[in-house]
Amino acid sequence: MPEETRRVVPIAVRRALGADAECGEPRLLAGGAMHDSWAVTARCGGRDEDLVVRVSPAGRADHEKTQREFVVLRAAREHGVACPRPIAWGVCESGEDFLVMTRMPGDTNPRQLVASPEYARAREAIVPQLAENLARIHAIPLAAIAEAPNMRAPAPGEDPLVALRRQTEAEYRQLMLDPHPAIEWAFRWLDRQLAAMPAPKSDPCVVHGDFRIGNIMYDGEGLTAILDWEGTHLGAPEEDIAWFCTRVWRFSRPDLPAGGLASRDAWVAAYERASGRTVDRARLLAWEVLQNIRWAVITFMQARAHLDGHTVSHELAAIGRRTAETELEILRLTGVVEEARRAG
Amino acid sequence: MQDRPTAAELLDALAGFFRERAQHARDRWERFQFLVAANSLAILKREAELEEDAILAEWERLDSLLGPEPLPLRHRDRVARLRERNAELCEAIRAGSFDGEREGELKRHLYLTVRDKVRIASPDELGEEETSG
Repeated sequence: MPEETRRVVPIAVRRALGADAECGEPRLLAGGAMHDSWAVTARCGGRDEDLVVRVSPAGRADHEKTQREFVVLRAAREHGVACPRPIAWGVCESGEDFLVMTRMPGDTNPRQLVASPEYARAREAIVPQLAENLARIHAIPLAAIAEAPNMRAPAPGEDPLVALRRQTEAEYRQLMLDPHPAIEWAFRWLDRQLAAMPAPKSDPCVVHGDFRIGNIMYDGEGLTAILDWEGTHLGAPEEDIAWFCTRVWRFSRPDLPAGGLASRDAWVAAYERASGRTVDRARLLAWEVLQNIRWAVITFMQARAHLDGHTVSHELAAIGRRTAETELEILRLTGVVEEARRAG
Repeated sequence: MQDRPTAAELLDALAGFFRERAQHARDRWERFQFLVAANSLAILKREAELEEDAILAEWERLDSLLGPEPLPLRHRDRVARLRERNAELCEAIRAGSFDGEREGELKRHLYLTVRDKVRIASPDELGEEETSG
């Protein structure tokens, strides 16, 4: 499939930089099941530009999504967030959607960041940097993204936690392969928490939507960029703060809940310092339980992609067996594990 | 009955083969694919060893939660019926049948059932406190 999108790269580069831009040899970047990302160096006006060209295959009709991401990236850059600068978006005559942006320096391998001795300094620096950048994302004025088409948002006056809980349950019922009593009980637990909590006072803000350690770039000094803005929408800050803590994104450091980098307390305190907001811990716990349920639903989706024959892959099939560890994390967060241990 | 090697021994041999291939893979992608394959075989090996006891224990706890029921003779019937009983348990949870004093028993069941699944699927995810008992 990647070879089919390679020929879009020079077309996109010329649309972004002008007809006289010279396009180097594109190199396929890792990751991305929905689209292909190409690194390319283009020469324009006597200068070299390092670019990333992301191409969605024809037939996916990703115009709206691509335009939305372009607007979001532009607003994030303008408000001081470390992220690629978007240059152009468009559609090829043959139907492929493309987004051209600057290539950021740094590495993306999260395993190396959480474990390697040579990144000890980066690990130290990156937690406050991530907190500051996340606070800037949440402070982007809604007017700056007004042009973004079809931005997902909770209904007026609706608690974003309630909205995402409802959406997650609908996906759970539609996609589950087996009944999951632990998840069923977790929805019930969530409803009890919601009933006991005051509604949030603040208005919805811009939420990154996939803020985790696998979606950032870093070098020896710390953070260089935040990537993957496809899921950006309006919601509550806790959605990103909690997603960063989900069990699956800690790699070899499950003992450090915040992305395998820091304790939950250190992470939340860094965010509070950076944003000037106060994070309600009970509400954040409810968000983290919900985000782990969301990951469980994603494990069903991945296994289904194989089982339905959509993408035949033993790797996707194996992810189906990761639902159990996610259920265990949900039972840890809700105190069930502790209670069972005390009962002996 | 089958001759040696047992299912667990055969799966062990296969997992070893894939781990060995991973060492000599041509690139990172291939290495990763071999490691995932070896890991899946290790899951199946643990399943061959542990699943029967886990199913019996789950069945007994469901007897207590939902009312007793004779255990089917064949493994495949046990699995099919267990799936239905879990769906029944989900319905009862949704209906609020375990909201009150029976919630403690339910929570203990959820923990033990999930722990037994994790012992097979990803034992490294069990904290030290959870590996015993």
